Amino acid sequence: MSTPHRIPGLSAFSRTQITAAQYASHGRTLQETHASSLQTQLAVFQSLLHQFAVTHAKDIRSNPTFRAEFARMCNAIGVDPLASSHTARGAGGKEAGGSFWSQMLGGSVNDFYFELAVRVVEVCRDTRAENGGLVAVAEVRQRVQKGRGVGGGMEVSDDDILRAVKSLEPLGSGFTILNLGHKQMIRSVPKELNTDQSTVLEAIQVLGHVTLSMLRINLNWERPRAIAVIDDLMADSLVWVDKQADETEYWSPTFIHDTGGQ
Amino acid sequence: MTSTTTDFPFPPHHSFPPFYTLQPVLSTRTSQLASWSHLIQAYCRHHRLFQLSLRDAADGPLFYNRALGRRLSLKDAREVVEWMASKEGGERAEWVGDKERDRFWVWWRRPEEWAGVIAAWVEATGQKNTVLTLYELTESDATASQEFHGMDPELLQRSLQILVKRGKAQIFGSDDSLGVKFF
Repeated sequence: MSTPHRIPGLSAFSRTQITAAQYASHGRTLQETHASSLQTQLAVFQSLLHQFAVTHAKDIRSNPTFRAEFARMCNAIGVDPLASSHTARGAGGKEAGGSFWSQMLGGSVNDFYFELAVRVVEVCRDTRAENGGLVAVAEVRQRVQKGRGVGGGMEVSDDDILRAVKSLEPLGSGFTILNLGHKQMIRSVPKELNTDQSTVLEAIQVLGHVTLSMLRINLNWERPRAIAVIDDLMADSLVWVDKQADETEYWSPTFIHDTGGQ
Repeated sequence: MTSTTTDFPFPPHHSFPPFYTLQPVLSTRTSQLASWSHLIQAYCRHHRLFQLSLRDAADGPLFYNRALGRRLSLKDAREVVEWMASKEGGERAEWVGDKERDRFWVWWRRPEEWAGVIAAWVEATGQKNTVLTLYELTESDATASQEFHGMDPELLQRSLQILVKRGKAQIFGSDDSLGVKFF
């Protein structure tokens, strides 16, 4: 900004510049006070949240609805309970590192999610041969709740399952949440579905099953295209064939355990 | 049979139409065969059946879901049994007479497992060194609450033979009145 010579006739312009600058600085001050007051509020709120979490640790651990509400509250103020929110990335330490959950609750809630994640992985692996690694969140919940063996069940909600799957993310586990129609699914095989495959799976979620002619008529696909997609899905165990219908039908194995909610 | 026939709670697979078509893809089929094996074992356990005949069972609720209009064909059912009988299937079935491939044992407990159950019962009830008739073992009131109550006589013999081989029992008598003594 070194303009040694003045250009006459532009003084009016420089005056507006000054006013603009004044407005800007005033705005900044306002914003700063606003921000700092917000920050104080947030700090107060967070400490209250902390207090709340400590007092109700037991409920949070044992009651899935309560836990879900608490998690929603955290989300609303931008605290991701599972992500390590306070420390630098890559630390991975125990005491200092830890997530929000573990800092608040001494690790027990955190452990809860990791334990749950292990169960989720088990369920996905146990059922993979049957469903090709695509399983409804609700089904996983039911299986986890039932548990295996004596006293194995865990009281969990769909929300918990989703959170547990999320907690696996940093491991590069390839577990992803997939929306198919109205249903949330866990995909445990790190293989991308192409658009055609997703379309067919979505149609199956809605209609219960598909046939080649349904695909041809509704999607305007040529027969070879429909066959290719179905063959791919079958090869991955994502679709089962029923040859006893009038026209061969293709079903999703996720329907086996779909008992309508519970 | 004395079993009180309450309805068997069929697993969800039973009302899934493709369950009745053997799946062409190997990994899917293996999981399907395992599910069939589970189902057949659970069904027989529930109804205390030790043998099934494929031909007789073809129209029964196990292989034929009337409401769904789906059935497991005789040919496919044979494959299920073959798989159950294999090492991979855990040897949970065995053809009665190799040629016909119609009747088969369903090992929801294998004979050696039955041997263990019987031996444990004898031990628990302090009946070592006493003589029991085979009839008593499976038909008397004393065993009414036991899983081996009402057991197929041939299977009982097979299981006891295992105990005999282990030197834990001795069978004597003839055809109609067999007795057994446990050690």
